[in-house]
Amino acid sequence: MALLKNTLAQLGVEEDRVRLEWVSASEGERFASIVNEMTEKVRELGPFSRDDGGENG
Amino acid sequence: MAKLKLGLYWAASCGGCDVAVLDINEKILDVAQLADIVFWPIAMDFKYHHVRAMEDGAIDVCLFNGAIRSSEQEDIARLLRAKSKTMVAFGSCACFGGIPALANFASRDEVMRRAYIEAPSNDNSGATLPQVRTTVPEGELELPELYDTVLTLAQVVDVEYFVPGCPPPVDLILKVVDALATNSLPPPGAVIASEKTLCDECERKKENKKISRIYRPHEIIPDPERCLLEQGIICCGPATRGGCGALCIKANMPCRGCFGPPPGVADQGAKLVAAVASIYQARDGEDIARMVSEMVDPAGTFYRFGLANSMLRRKRL
Repeated sequence: MALLKNTLAQLGVEEDRVRLEWVSASEGERFASIVNEMTEKVRELGPFSRDDGGENG
Repeated sequence: MAKLKLGLYWAASCGGCDVAVLDINEKILDVAQLADIVFWPIAMDFKYHHVRAMEDGAIDVCLFNGAIRSSEQEDIARLLRAKSKTMVAFGSCACFGGIPALANFASRDEVMRRAYIEAPSNDNSGATLPQVRTTVPEGELELPELYDTVLTLAQVVDVEYFVPGCPPPVDLILKVVDALATNSLPPPGAVIASEKTLCDECERKKENKKISRIYRPHEIIPDPERCLLEQGIICCGPATRGGCGALCIKANMPCRGCFGPPPGVADQGAKLVAAVASIYQARDGEDIARMVSEMVDPAGTFYRFGLANSMLRRKRL
């Protein structure tokens, strides 16, 4: 995960767009709160666009 | 049978692909018997206007090497596409972007600044940069425009065949020549190489896929018999197409990935991240931090030849 994050950082992908969590089947509430957090985080960051590559990117 | 009309071109490339064509040695005579070369900037004196004057489809096969990173290269790619019945992306740069596509980690402005102002060998106190248009007393001069993003050939025009390699090895070139001679080319869209990964074709002993340290090639003299990855050297074999004859491996050097992703792999770099991360023995955060510090320039290593062809294509600006 650390390696992936470093690789993505070099490619200009924000760190918060990727997250790895282990959640047991009995941790329903935790699952929901992580999903909600992630949703909020991505909403804050806005849509990921492939059009940020300069004129012809 | 009338002789085939063959065209060769170089776009953003080093010239090595053209030299590789000459490396087929006396077989070049077979090529000359089989085909008339109607355009080859490195070796012959045909000009763009000669190509423009041809009828559409007049060239039977065009071997196009180099990535597309300027308006001139894009124009000529479109021109040759129109004039050629069969377009072949020849070499890693045309197929995947290759080394020039490492420029996709930077913007055009950064590339220009580095090349013309910051590079230690420069003497450019006036900070002069090449301009698309420059007015001089004699009139206006024009240069091709450099693009922000280096593209693969197939991102610009339709391509029938892909011949990977940096440069394509001689036996693959001969395979293409033979296929042309006997009219036995595979279905369009094919990559003319192996359908396996390099790891599948590698003869080294593979025993225990676990590493606890990553070595850069200059930090270790590898055992010539054992799997390089198992010795802690980043070898791109697990996520690279075979068919190269394992030339680097036989020279005791790791695979650098120039044959691009194997069949079924959409993103060569992502596959390599998974391959390396899954064999590194990390018990705690400290181990992970060490691994990350040993893995210098991960994106540049994993996407060394394939950045333009990857899912992201370039760094977001």
